[in-house]
Formats: sequence, C-alpha cells, structure tokens
Amino acid sequence: MVVTERCVGCATCMLVCPKDAIRVEGRAEINRELCEECRKCMLYCPLEAISYVTPELTQKS
Amino acid sequence: MRIAVVGSGLGGLLSAAILSERGYEVEVYEKLPFIGGRFTSFNYRGYEISTGALHMIPHGSRGHLARMLKEAGARVEIIDSKPEGTALYNGEEVEVRKRSFPLRSKLSFALFCLKNRFREVRLSELERRLDDFSARFLRAFLGWSLSITPEETTLTKIYPIYRSTLELGGPGVPAGGCRAVVEALAEVVESNDCKIRRGSKVRSVRKEDYGFSVHLEREAKAFDVVLSDIGHEETAKLCSYRAEKCEPSSGIKYSIAIKQPFIEHTGVLFTLNTRRISGMNQVTNADPNLGKGHFLMAHQPMLTSNVKFEISEGLKDIRELLRGYEYEILAVQSYSDGWPVNRAKAGGEESVKTPLKGLYVVGDGAKGQDIEVEGVALGVEKALQEVETLEF
Ligand SMILES: Cc1cc2nc3c(=O)[nH]c(=O)nc-3n(C[C@H](O)[C@H](O)[C@H](O)COP(=O)(O)OP(=O)(O)OC[C@H]3O[C@@H](n4cnc5c(N)ncnc54)[C@H](O)[C@@H]3O)c2cc1C
Ligand code: SF4
Ligand code: SF4
Repeated sequence: MVVTERCVGCATCMLVCPKDAIRVEGRAEINRELCEECRKCMLYCPLEAISYVTPELTQKS
Repeated sequence: MRIAVVGSGLGGLLSAAILSERGYEVEVYEKLPFIGGRFTSFNYRGYEISTGALHMIPHGSRGHLARMLKEAGARVEIIDSKPEGTALYNGEEVEVRKRSFPLRSKLSFALFCLKNRFREVRLSELERRLDDFSARFLRAFLGWSLSITPEETTLTKIYPIYRSTLELGGPGVPAGGCRAVVEALAEVVESNDCKIRRGSKVRSVRKEDYGFSVHLEREAKAFDVVLSDIGHEETAKLCSYRAEKCEPSSGIKYSIAIKQPFIEHTGVLFTLNTRRISGMNQVTNADPNLGKGHFLMAHQPMLTSNVKFEISEGLKDIRELLRGYEYEILAVQSYSDGWPVNRAKAGGEESVKTPLKGLYVVGDGAKGQDIEVEGVALGVEKALQEVETLEF
C-alpha cells in the first residue's frame, strides 16, 4: 500500500485499519510489517490518496 | 420528480431525508463505503473519533439544524450546553457571557459596526481596539468555530453569526455524536423506500433535454433534478462547466483520552493564552457513550502551510494545558484541500444555484448565513425552496 501526495492527514484510514498498522501525524504512514493488504484504508480514504501496488509492479519500477 | 443526490455528507442526507418525506423519489450516491462525510465517527480504541466534526451542533436544540431534523422526522436528541462556554484566561476559567466583556470593548464593537456600513471592516482592525481578554476571545472563537484568524475575515461576514448566536444560543451535543445524526437521516431516507448507494462514485453529470443523466463507472441513470453535496468547484468538474475557485479553511483536531476530567461542563472551553489551540470540549460530559473514559478534543486553525510544524506547536499547547493530568493522544487529524474544515473560508453566504437549472449545491460549499452545520441546514432549506419552484 502506498500513500501518495494527495494525503492531507485526516486519519480516516487509521480509524478503520483492522491491523492498527497506520500512524498519522500530518500524513499517513503504513507499517508494512503489520499491514495485511486488506485495502480497507484505500477504500475509506476520502481523498483517494492510498493506492495498491502489487509486488510485481514494485519490482519493475 | 426523480432527484439524485451526489454525496452523503450532512447536507446531502438532510436534503434527501426531507425530499423523501415530501414524497419525491430520491437516490443518494456516496463514493465511500460509509455515509456522513465529515460528520460521522468510527469507534477507535473505545472512543467515537469523528471524521471531521467536534460532535457539536452550534446552536443546539434551538438551531436551524435541529428545526430541519424535526421536519425530516429524524429522531435526534440534542443535549444543550450549560454553560455555553468558558474561557481559560491567564490560568483562570471564566464563564463567557455578555458581562464578561469590558464596556470599552463593547463600545468599540458598536463603533466598528457603524463604520462597517460605509466600508468593509477586517476583524483584525476591530481586534486591535479591544482589551486583551476580548481580543484573545475573538481569536479563539474564530479558530474554534471557523478555523480562521481575524485577518482572514470581515465584520460583514461574521456579524450574522454573532446575531444568530445571541438569538438562538450556544452549542449542543447530539446524543450518540455526529454519527447518530447522519444515521437518523439515512433511516428516514431508507424508510421512504429511497436508496443510499455506498461505494458509488459519480463520474459525471450531463445535462439532457429531460433533465440530467448521472454517470457512475459502469451505469447511467436519468433524473429530473440533481443536488450536489461536494461543493461548487467539484460539481463544476462533474458537469464540465467552470466555477470560481473557493479557498477552504484548514485545521487540526486532537482526540485525547484523559483519566481525570479536564472540563466540568458540556460546552466549549476557549483557550486564550495558547500558541495555536483555540478551544477544547469534553463530549463524554454530554453523552458518556462517546468514549469508554473521558474524551477530550482540541482544535486549532493552521497558521502556516507546514502541517508538521503546526502539529508540533499544537502539541506544545496541549502539553502545557494538560500538565499534571494523565492522558493519551488517540488521534491527530489534519484537514485541508479536498477534506477541509470549511469549504468556504471566510464565513458569509454562498449561493446554492449553478449555471444549470435543476442542479443545486448543498453542504458546506453552499451555506446560508450561519456557521458550520447550521449554515449547511440553511443552505439545504434554500436549495429545497428552489426545487419546489421547478415545474414538471
Ligand atoms: C476538524 C473539524 C471539526 C468540525 N467541527 C464541527 C462541529 O463541531 N460542528 C459543526 O457543526 N461542524 C463542524 N465541522 C464542519 C462540518 O463537519 C461540515 O460543515 C459538514 O460535515 C459538511 O457537510 P457536507 O454536507 O458539506 O458534506 P461532506 O462531509 O463534505 O460530504 C460530502 C460527501 O460526498 C462524497 N463524495 C465526494 N465526491 C463524490 C462523488 N463524485 N460521488 C459520490 N460521492 C462523492 C464524499 O465522500 C463525502 O461523503 C467540522 C469540520 C472539521 C473538519
Ligand atoms: S484517509 Fe487518506 S487522506 Fe486521510 S490520512 Fe489516510 S491516506 Fe491520508
Ligand atoms: S491494507 Fe488493510 S491492514 Fe494494510 S494498512 Fe490498509 S487497512 Fe491496514
């Protein structure tokens, strides 16, 4: 899960994350160790600031 | 008449509920999986942490929103604050009443109201003529209720808010918090056989001979009228016309679990000797179900565009204010751009009309002359009047 520039830090993602993997202070930061890629944060973000990048995609870039 | 509502924020749901009560066929589209926009909450570690609002209705049970909730048939209990507010000034808590302000400052205020008839008066001009307490209170009040500073607005825009606060009184907390309000409205909509579609982002709205077609990712539907709860700018993008840019107000909210109560009442505690924090409330005093322990919130406007710096200043204030208390900061939430405190910064009035007949804007991008959700309620009232005058 990648947080983009659009994030304003409203913390809606933190409130809904089932794994408590997100910390927000001005901007969201996702703890990869805890995240299980359920994508809930992505769906609930009002600014569409979180995107899902598959491992293959990350490798290519 | 078939009406589409784009967005399930407070303005969208209030419109939809009243229209559905009046027998219109209404469909609400919400892009997110949840309804309520910036006026709802999630239970986070035992506390109802909101997506925006400080769980307060500016004029409580006597205000415009309360009146329109009744009209919609939405069952919401509002606990009015008593006292309406206090101020923490030089280490002492004083009740905010007309009497709290020195005569000299009241006279300056009257004088500036007179001046304002001949030319636009910035509030910072007035501020300079006030005694220290009144000046600091003005700053804290604007920071708390509008997330702006006196430099950013004028007497003309703020005067109606001052009048309505005198007439209608101060704030109240809805039992169950802001989520209870939007859920009650959604219940009305759904009980009238109208739909609220979550996870349905509207991609475009097109003007047609018969009215409008509303397009989602994979489907389109025909409507006579469209109400948009996403502000003038975003609405214009959906319909491909141009709208003026509107500067939103930004702010930061802190949700705090605190062991011993910090505030004794259900209203606002304005903090006058701080760097940033304008005020605090402790909503569990009004409704203990809003948190498993005492639940304190603090709000500040953003004075610079550096969010991290603003937060560090706010946290310094909190540390000083809560010295000697045992507490934990549950959430720090910042609001700007597309998810702001207010879509239109300076207070004042925004039209509900658009260049297209049959398309109206509701919500805090098209407020009437009052603050926050009271202004939203007045805007909705106006948009509904427009709808009623359309002939089909
Ligand atoms: C920190 C903070 C504290 C506040 N405190 C208070 C308070 O205590 N009291 C008070 O009265 N007010 C308060 N406010 C202001 C109040 O929250 C807002 O005025 C109010 O919630 C605005 O409602 P709205 O109708 O404009 O809708 P919004 O809440 O903006 O909702 C719009 C909805 O439209 C949806 N949407 C957007 N685009 C689309 C699309 N293309 N298709 C479908 N859906 C879409 C969004 O997902 C959202 O759900 C506060 C705000 C903030 C941020
Ligand atoms: S919900 Fe979106 S905008 Fe809000 S903090 Fe999370 S990523 Fe940022
Ligand atoms: S994908 Fe799921 S687990 Fe990972 S951060 Fe987002 S909400 Fe939390």
